[in-house]
Amino acid sequence: MDVSTRRALQVWLALVVLTLLTWAVGRAGLGGGPVIAGILLSVAVKGQMVADVFMGLRAVRSPWRWMVSGWLLMVLALIGLAFFTGET
Amino acid sequence: MKYQSQAVAKPYFIAAIGLFVGQILFGLVMGLQYVMGDFLFPEIPFNVARMVHTNLLIVWLLFGFMGAAYFLVPEETEHELHSPLLAKVLFWVFLVAGALTVLGYLLVPYARLAELTMNDLLPTMGREFLEQPTITKIGIVVVALGFLYNIGVTILAGRKTVVSMVLLTGLVGLAVMFLFSFYNPINVVDDKFYWWWVVHLWVEGVWELILASILAFVLIKVTGVDREVIEKWMYVIIAMALISGIIGTGHHYYWIGAPEYWQWWGSIFSALEPIPFFMMTVFAFNMVNRRRREHPNKAAVLWALGTAVMAFLGAGVWGFLHTLAPVNYYTHGSQITAAHGHMAFYGAYVMIVLTIISYAMPILRGQEAADPRAQVLEMWSFWLMTVSMVFITLFLTGAGVLQVWLQRFTDNPQPFMVVQEKIEVFYWLREAAGLVFLLGLILYVAAFFVKGGERVMASNAVADTA
Amino acid sequence: MEQIASHPAAGQKKALPGDFAIWIFIYAELLVFGIFFLAYAYTRAQHVELFNTYQQHLNRESGAINTLVLITSSYFVVMAVAAIRRGAAGHCTRWLILAVLSGSVFVWIKLAEFAAKHAEGITLSTNTFYMFYLSLTFFHFMHVLMGMVILSVVALKAYRGAYNAQEHTGVETGASYWHMVDLVWIILFPLVYVLH
Repeated sequence: MDVSTRRALQVWLALVVLTLLTWAVGRAGLGGGPVIAGILLSVAVKGQMVADVFMGLRAVRSPWRWMVSGWLLMVLALIGLAFFTGET
Repeated sequence: MKYQSQAVAKPYFIAAIGLFVGQILFGLVMGLQYVMGDFLFPEIPFNVARMVHTNLLIVWLLFGFMGAAYFLVPEETEHELHSPLLAKVLFWVFLVAGALTVLGYLLVPYARLAELTMNDLLPTMGREFLEQPTITKIGIVVVALGFLYNIGVTILAGRKTVVSMVLLTGLVGLAVMFLFSFYNPINVVDDKFYWWWVVHLWVEGVWELILASILAFVLIKVTGVDREVIEKWMYVIIAMALISGIIGTGHHYYWIGAPEYWQWWGSIFSALEPIPFFMMTVFAFNMVNRRRREHPNKAAVLWALGTAVMAFLGAGVWGFLHTLAPVNYYTHGSQITAAHGHMAFYGAYVMIVLTIISYAMPILRGQEAADPRAQVLEMWSFWLMTVSMVFITLFLTGAGVLQVWLQRFTDNPQPFMVVQEKIEVFYWLREAAGLVFLLGLILYVAAFFVKGGERVMASNAVADTA
Repeated sequence: MEQIASHPAAGQKKALPGDFAIWIFIYAELLVFGIFFLAYAYTRAQHVELFNTYQQHLNRESGAINTLVLITSSYFVVMAVAAIRRGAAGHCTRWLILAVLSGSVFVWIKLAEFAAKHAEGITLSTNTFYMFYLSLTFFHFMHVLMGMVILSVVALKAYRGAYNAQEHTGVETGASYWHMVDLVWIILFPLVYVLH
């Protein structure tokens, strides 16, 4: 197993763990500001891993890579903002 | 001209331009009736002028599309047209049927026309843009079938290119969508659905395929860029156009009695409709910048680039202006719709037909490009028509914004006719811009009659060096 | 991608994997989903109670399992690309078939979820939350089907030996699309099933 496939396996494992964590939070019925922020952060990490390692964008020159990362961060930030305004 | 049978395109183009002139004249009549309500009354009431204005537009664009297909398909398939005779016969059938229909609109009251044409047997009349008597509609279907047969057999027999396949798909779609016009449900909501499936799925669906394929053909010819490059762009643009356009039909369902979720689906997907038009603009300029030859027909290149830009502005930007449900709640059916309609039809479909005519007509008349003097005149007509259309759109937008402001987006809405009086100045300005447009159109026609003399030699010399 | 537009090479960084045309698609798709997600979030802000109540009625387990399924199938696709880069077309084909099979697991679970909602008489018009839930998941569902078609075609071509270590743009193209489908679901699942 070379470096890149080992890395892919690590990412897969991390994605599984984070997904199970998200599911557990949902099952426990947890909500509210800190929980939302935590889950959105984990989604950002998951998305960036998929983009960088699965899609292979880490090695791609900048505007194309940042268009995906930028999209991810912007969408998650705005979702966070919407949930925050909804709570109060 | 590479193939003899391409010559059948010529009468189609001539008829298209002739009807175009008629359309503009009736447009000017209507424009004046906006401010002088009894102008030409009772001979040509507003509703009749409007019907003739819009119906002539559709008919001449269809003539243009058919002419384009007859010109483009033999060259793309490297095969003579299956039956030039059928093409000629259908031309006369279509022209006579079209002329009789327009005469019917002008000479008999509409209700009487419906009676005369036995509309009772299969009622299809009375819907905007689809006012044609049922027998005319049947005639259109017959012409379309004959035309598709002719084109289809030619394509099957010859080389199959992406351009000709996309064109054929668009033309088949055009014919199929038209069939919705034969069903006229009593239920008003159903009625609107079927109506939009013709109107919207034409202009924001299958017609875009026709537009893209004609534009691609002309760009291949005038730039010499590799066909593969242009085809890949076409795939992407068309896929985007269809995805956004088909679900985007939802932007017509907001207030017709359809379920509420269409306000979301319609808003989100139709908001994407500018993207394929934007890509088309990038594509056209990209191809022209990377051209491998200097084509002597500068006017055709200008029209092609103009189509890309104006289609983006008219269909993309002006469409987006009022496509979101919360905005459309206030603007639907106002002069903003009229502004969008004018620039979108001109930018996307009028200009693409003028592009292919500009490219093909000199070839059909035995030259690679028109005499430079004629081209200069044609470019003048391009700028006059295009700039005046921009102004028509701006004036109508101004009228529309004011209309919405005074009549709808206010705590004290004013009555319709009071508002109409207040926005009269915009209508006058629009009429003036319309006259400039007519001037441009006259120059356009005149450009065909510019005699080259020894300059024919000069233009041939230019062609030889290219 | 150089066939569509030429860009000056920047350093030793590479061009996008696969055909550039698919990336235009991917960016456009991300834009649509992004708008859809934000529409959900901001409409929820107007109806917090409603959204929180009906979110409880969703089958969170099937959503979570589907996330794992998609992540795993994405991993299979990564392995398929790695295989063809080594020139191992046979391995590539097998990984792709595994990916398509996982995709069909997703489809079955999703269909069961839709069927359950349908049996409860829930439609797009039931309420705003369900309108978004059904629209978003159905729209994504169509992308899964589309991705499966693409991967199947790629798998068939790989099986027939159309790709090798030097020329495998098609594999990368299909892979990129599939990862996009995965990426979108990674946001969709917590947003619609969990966050409140």
